[in-house]
Amino acid sequence: MSDAALEVIGLAKRFGGVQAVADLSFTVPAGGIAALIGPNGAGKTTLFNLVTNLFPADAGEVRFLGTSLRGRGPSDIAALGLLRTFQTARIFPGMNVLENVMAGAHRQIRHGAAAQMLWLPGARHEEAALRRRAADLLDLVGLAGLRDQPAASLPMGAQKMVEVCRAFMARPRLLLLDEPAAGLNDSETAELAALLRAVCDSGVTIMVVEHNMSLVMDIADQVIVLDLGRLLAQGTPRDIQRDPRVIEAYLGVAT
Amino acid sequence: MNQFAQIMVGGLLQGSVFAIIALGITLVYRVTGIINLAQGGFCILGALTLYTFQVEWSWPLPLAFIAAMAATTAFGVALGAATFVPALSRLPNSSMLMLTAGLLTFIGGLALVVWGSQPFIVPPFSGEQPIAILGVLVPSQGLWIGGIALLIIAGVWYLMARTATGMALITCAENPLAARFMGIDVARLTLFSFGLAALIGGIGGAAVAPIMSLQFDAGGFFTNAGFIAVALGGMSSLGGAIAGGLFLGVAEQLAAGYVSSLFANGLALGLLLVTLLWRPRGFFGGTLRRRDVREEARVYRSVVRFGGRGMVLIGLPLLILLLVLPDFVGGGMLSSLVITFILFIAVLGLDVAMGYAGQVSLGQSGFMAVGGYTAGILAATYDLPPALGILAGMALSLACALSLSLVTMRLQGAYLALATLTFGLLVDSLTVGLVDVTGGPSGLVGIPALSFGPLVIGTPRAMYYFLLVLMAVLVAALLGAMRSGFGRALQAIRADQTAAAALGINVPRHKMAAFAISAVLASLSGSLYAFDFHFLSPDMVATPRSFELIAMLIIGGEGTLIGGLPGAALITLLPTLFQPFAVYKTLAEGALLALTFQYLPDGMLGGLWRLGQWARGLAPARFAPGRAAP
Repeated sequence: MSDAALEVIGLAKRFGGVQAVADLSFTVPAGGIAALIGPNGAGKTTLFNLVTNLFPADAGEVRFLGTSLRGRGPSDIAALGLLRTFQTARIFPGMNVLENVMAGAHRQIRHGAAAQMLWLPGARHEEAALRRRAADLLDLVGLAGLRDQPAASLPMGAQKMVEVCRAFMARPRLLLLDEPAAGLNDSETAELAALLRAVCDSGVTIMVVEHNMSLVMDIADQVIVLDLGRLLAQGTPRDIQRDPRVIEAYLGVAT
Repeated sequence: MNQFAQIMVGGLLQGSVFAIIALGITLVYRVTGIINLAQGGFCILGALTLYTFQVEWSWPLPLAFIAAMAATTAFGVALGAATFVPALSRLPNSSMLMLTAGLLTFIGGLALVVWGSQPFIVPPFSGEQPIAILGVLVPSQGLWIGGIALLIIAGVWYLMARTATGMALITCAENPLAARFMGIDVARLTLFSFGLAALIGGIGGAAVAPIMSLQFDAGGFFTNAGFIAVALGGMSSLGGAIAGGLFLGVAEQLAAGYVSSLFANGLALGLLLVTLLWRPRGFFGGTLRRRDVREEARVYRSVVRFGGRGMVLIGLPLLILLLVLPDFVGGGMLSSLVITFILFIAVLGLDVAMGYAGQVSLGQSGFMAVGGYTAGILAATYDLPPALGILAGMALSLACALSLSLVTMRLQGAYLALATLTFGLLVDSLTVGLVDVTGGPSGLVGIPALSFGPLVIGTPRAMYYFLLVLMAVLVAALLGAMRSGFGRALQAIRADQTAAAALGINVPRHKMAAFAISAVLASLSGSLYAFDFHFLSPDMVATPRSFELIAMLIIGGEGTLIGGLPGAALITLLPTLFQPFAVYKTLAEGALLALTFQYLPDGMLGGLWRLGQWARGLAPARFAPGRAAP
């Protein structure tokens, strides 16, 4: 077995005239935090959508812990332990914060609808345990006081935090986070960094799309740089900061 | 050969009418992404106003026709301005669909109040004498219908392709936000398309009125035919709508001519399902994407959900009240309460499908009929125990529900809802048409009282308490599931399918389960209905009942499980309390449904709960990470 969490092999996707992802190959090692960076339009979110099969790739393949994801639906992929969050937090409106987080544990629930209808003790205990775990998690990230609030009433930063908690409830083996720090202020970003470190230390591999460079350099073990749908560079944060191609790609956009 | 030609002519005539209706549906769909179920209602209005002006008031035909169309259009614009357009920016698509169902009910109710329940027929525009063309007799009205259809098609084509308004309409359809930035008044254009659709519908109804007797409740039939035509042709293509309409008309007439008219209705459902399976884009695939771009931007309709404490707070006093109620009311009221309870069971199912999973079902009456007739026939004709009949009905309903959902579940949009409408109408025609089995229009008689072995539930009082226990058990069971993982998964699907799937929730399977629960409960309700009345007739479980159940749910409060009870009580008991108002029942249902969406989006129960929250001064807490727990 490989020790790679995620292998992307020759992936390609074209939208009309735009080659969003072109012959992209890289490997994310298991354990640690990998950051995916690149200028706007580099294909970062498209890559996430391709990995989770939200739409099919034109060519190439993605392997998760050695298993090919080709032809698997989004819910199958989640069941394998690959969870994702979305660029604009997609919390469930109409549910409160605690229920949102509990919804993440859907795959772990062993008692079916029939057992829940009959109020079987096993189902009630499982539900209570789930509630405790979700409440603990919210407590950990400082959202305990908001757990009964409608999730949609929270500011964007808190919604993103709820979404990370929800994905973590699914006991993922690889977590794909799409710009979790967007919309967070500095102290919230610091809290997020601590949270991601803790999640990573609990044995979850994290791949994160992020624009906040100081956060990336602070937490990432590996940095993968995309530009125009292609792999520009991959390495440690120190290497990447000195890579002339990366500097050029970013300066080219910045000026 | 002559017979074939005759049938083809009939089919093309009917198809022209379907095409006109389909055109109206497509027009509104292109601009708003909503399938306007009220479209068939405008046909009825057009036909009935023409009847009043031409026959009752003896106006000359041209004047009567113009006046009728003006009246229908004015009504359509007023209705659109008061309900459809303002709701569009606030309600998600599934709720919009129900709102238009409410408008259809409202128009039907209005027609009932104004014109009564008898069918009307208008004299042909130019005499009764048919015209022979190449040896085939064509009713002279047929030429009118064909000509009018061609005129409408040409007019709509000209509007869309050649005028600035048409361009603006297309812009609205492609991207309403961009259209607004460009200075296009989207709300006014939406209203324009709605009014235009009303006019087109009215003309179609007036044109067909001389060859088809129409009554107040025929709107559902026209809406359904128009929708199937649109689905066959391709949702957003004008040419597809016309071709789909003609094809459906010819196919139905061929089936009716060579097999039987019952088969024609089955054929419509079959055609719809096959099209959705085989070629979901329709045969003339539109250029617009089938996934509605507005869905994401539309504000999600919040649903008040009670916590455990709220349920006890509301449920316990309610239960005590219901326990002692029979001692304080008369016999008539007791019977009405029994009916309320029976209908509530069907509403309960609807709440699981709609309030929790967000799946609109317009065919709940079809499942009631399956349950009612299966149990009734087994008990009355074959002397089988009622409980066995109830179970058989549930099994049959389950099979129907699973087949319907297997086909439609993987498609985006309102397909399940419309497939259920088609299913309901098919069951309607079967209950009327299979006279040997169901007793036909005069109903199925000799259904025994409900009994379990030696225990006979013969009196209204016994039935009342039996239903009270059954209701409590069902609510408790559903409460257990809805407040656990299963219910959470359904709510997640209602809120955001993509995000739900990304968490590993199997979206199609959960939707199917919710829909199956809904169908089984409707079936149970239908069986109990039959046993309670000892009689079942097609109109007791016909499609208007489906819309009534939706009204009960929305008025009471979606997603609350027990909200359907006050909703069902309001609609069932009011006509009992105020007998003279019974004729206004349908009108009130439609109006209440539309008004609830507008002014009390959480329903009666949800509104009460919000009021309580507000009174207790529970302002939402703010997100404050600085004060977070260590």
